[in-house]
Amino acid sequence: MRCVSLIEVAQLRKVFRRADKKPGLAGSVRHLVERRFVDKVAVDDIDLRVEAGEAVAYVGPNGAGKSTTVKMLTGVLVPTSGTVHVEGRVPHKDRIANARRVGVVFGQRTQLWWDLPVRDSLELLRDMHGLSDADYRRNLERLDATLGLAELLPVTARKLSLGQRMRADLAAALVHTPPIVFLDEPTIGLDIAVKDRVRAFVRELVAEGTTVMLTTHDLGDIEDICRRLVIIDQGRIVYDGDIGTVVETYARERTMHFSVAEAPASLAGIAARLPDAAVAEGPSDAQLDVTFDPAVVSSARVLAAVQAEADVVDLRIDEPAIEDVVRRVYAGELGAGGMQ
Amino acid sequence: MASAQAVAAPGVLARVRRNAWLYRRCLGAHLRSTLEYEADFWIMSVSAVIAQGVGIVFLWAIFGSIPEINGWTFWDVAMIYALVVLSEGLSVLFAQGAWSMAFTVNLGGFDALLLRPFSPVLQVLSSEIGMNGLGNVALGGALLGVSVAHVDVAWTPATIALFVVLVVSAALVKVGLNTATNAAAFWIKTPWSMFAFSMHTFGELARFPITIYGIGVRLALSVVLPYAFMSYFPAQAVLSTGTAHWLGFLTPLVAVWCLVLGALVFRRGMLRYESAGN
Amino acid sequence: MSAAALLEAAPSGRLPFAGRTRARRSMARTAFRSLVAHQVSFLFGLLATAFAVLSMLYLWRAVLANGPLHGFDWPHMRAYLLVTFVAGSLVSSYVDYRMAGRILQGDVAMDLVRPVGYQDARFAEALGFGVYELGTGLLVAAVAALAFGGVPGPAPGELGAFVVSALLVMPLRFGIVYMSGLVVFWTQNYIGVQAGRIALVTLCSGALVPIAFFPGWAQDVLTYLPFAGMASTPALVYVGHLAGAEAWRAVAVQAFWVVGLWLLGRALWGAASRQLTVHGG
Repeated sequence: MRCVSLIEVAQLRKVFRRADKKPGLAGSVRHLVERRFVDKVAVDDIDLRVEAGEAVAYVGPNGAGKSTTVKMLTGVLVPTSGTVHVEGRVPHKDRIANARRVGVVFGQRTQLWWDLPVRDSLELLRDMHGLSDADYRRNLERLDATLGLAELLPVTARKLSLGQRMRADLAAALVHTPPIVFLDEPTIGLDIAVKDRVRAFVRELVAEGTTVMLTTHDLGDIEDICRRLVIIDQGRIVYDGDIGTVVETYARERTMHFSVAEAPASLAGIAARLPDAAVAEGPSDAQLDVTFDPAVVSSARVLAAVQAEADVVDLRIDEPAIEDVVRRVYAGELGAGGMQ
Repeated sequence: MASAQAVAAPGVLARVRRNAWLYRRCLGAHLRSTLEYEADFWIMSVSAVIAQGVGIVFLWAIFGSIPEINGWTFWDVAMIYALVVLSEGLSVLFAQGAWSMAFTVNLGGFDALLLRPFSPVLQVLSSEIGMNGLGNVALGGALLGVSVAHVDVAWTPATIALFVVLVVSAALVKVGLNTATNAAAFWIKTPWSMFAFSMHTFGELARFPITIYGIGVRLALSVVLPYAFMSYFPAQAVLSTGTAHWLGFLTPLVAVWCLVLGALVFRRGMLRYESAGN
Repeated sequence: MSAAALLEAAPSGRLPFAGRTRARRSMARTAFRSLVAHQVSFLFGLLATAFAVLSMLYLWRAVLANGPLHGFDWPHMRAYLLVTFVAGSLVSSYVDYRMAGRILQGDVAMDLVRPVGYQDARFAEALGFGVYELGTGLLVAAVAALAFGGVPGPAPGELGAFVVSALLVMPLRFGIVYMSGLVVFWTQNYIGVQAGRIALVTLCSGALVPIAFFPGWAQDVLTYLPFAGMASTPALVYVGHLAGAEAWRAVAVQAFWVVGLWLLGRALWGAASRQLTVHGG
């Protein structure tokens, strides 16, 4: 067979056609006569291979084509051109067979039956996937142990909070223990505790050999889970390579935000103590920000420097966001080493 | 961990059986959740009885003044009406989900259906259960019982069996047409099923003997969107009246055609599906 | 048609709130609501209404094929049906649908802090919307009239009574629609209540079949109930079945019920707003 990788995508393209009509009734009527459309290229001839057991982070800004790619990989959308193979199957043609082998979580939208209790949703999925009672019980126990599912089972999906819903959705996507898992923004809007739980769970999946493709805005998710990073922008893959390289090179900067008792007369004093960091005024008088590379200047040194000049009341550290990395990649700051 | 079992579908029969079983499971789950709102159940059932009952009072008032319309007596028309109410009730009970299509498809809920290993059209149809259907079935059944007692038909086991087949087929005609018209949601991108609703209203013309209409309306009701096979034609077959009462015996075939039509339009629409949020 | 059709398309009868706009339940009569947002839906809603009128006209043509019944010949029956149709399209269901929605969502609290009486404000809303309803109702009626060979004009001597009677239709229908909207204070299921109300009003107002076709006792009761004034009275005046003093007496019954229903609505609102504290509005 021609397919050697678990997931093979070649020259994949998806174009959405939007009606180009003027607003109002007149516009609608006119559109009936004079049909004009505008094309929006969501995914622009991408190539991608994922091997079994890989954990891939698939990132890019909003509207870059991430979800569209995942939807084509799961058979939700029919590609405009190009080919998709998942385990040698074409997802949109063999959708049901594909659905048995993959698990999908779309963070923005639930896949539970919104008007049913979580338990009913899971049992319906059990029957659709044709799981035996024993397998189902075993899987549910395991999901319960990691996701704390038991308390959610009797609750109707629409009444779940966002965090609860995400846990239930993960369970629904994984109840049939799929060997391939697509996670589209699985931690969006979750609080830290739940986020950690979800990440730990996904790490466990990866450790067991599940192939995971993770779409996210959260660099924490990626560093925790993935070793490979694929960046998509305006429908094109602009980077595909090792995640360590990217993070080390482009996501090293941290920013410390200080609140001080009294605004210092000048920042020059602090800046003089920290020649390798950037010191800037904060959003208000009694605030200031220090941006530094922890490999060059330690956090402790930054703190000591500021304390020497001002009375620190509070401080907060910002981790770099994946957006920053992505932005730098677009700006061409990334070396040729990572580029395909 | 146990891996996903690939359930092989060895034959058509096994596949049909699996689909029927899953359909029942989905419907059952929704029935349970619907029954939690007991007040809804009563209000919907009672209002269904009122809404359909008003139609019967209307016919009764008209026939109080004239013995027949185009050769149809009150009990003949009552039987047609009862068939509509009954078959509609069945379709509401067992396939109400058709009406959720516009909403599901155009507000993005359809993705989830495509990710589950079960036919999307069957998932849509089984996604709701209409409690007013019980009111319809009760009233339609009662009216049918009373009207068959008044019409001139020799009731034998064969005619009773025929009758059951016709009622079930009539309901399936409705299910098929509901599916086809609601699948317009793939083309008309609003969360309202107004197109299907207007077609349903058109179908209500078949509550009366269709001989009262002009040829265009009659053709539309029997060929284009054969709503008349929910009521008029099956009633003709039972009553053995009219010039072409044999047409009523085609009802099961028309039901199959309507279901196929529904599935085809749905499948065609699915190819156009563009998900949401792009 | 409408009541049964509404139910057909609205499974559980719950309104689309609680975070999720199950907007598909805004059906033909409430299509006006989407007039601005979705013209396609609106046009199909209009089509649905047109089919309903069509079926009534065809049926009555067949009924009257062998000559007039209860004083109705075919042309006058056409006129009667179209007048009741236009009357029936007023205050159809927009006002109560919106009321029910706002009450169930708790937004009713915002209506209460406005410096206008709740009932007055709803009436004003109904009036504003009545312009659309009247316009589309007249449009469908005009097309139907053309398709079926026109309708005779109003009875010449009764023009004054007809105009007054027609003007009273709207406040009268508002009275019943307003009260049925308030029922959501007691039940969450509004679609069911609305469908039941539409069915009963349609039948009792003579919009399906003139009251003269009912048995004598029913005619006596219906003549003095508020429903006749919502469709039958102006239509009967139009075709000349109610004339002279009789016409004015029927108009007086209408006027009586306009006031009566307004006061009843006020009383019901009093009872309903006590429920509001229970709901925590």
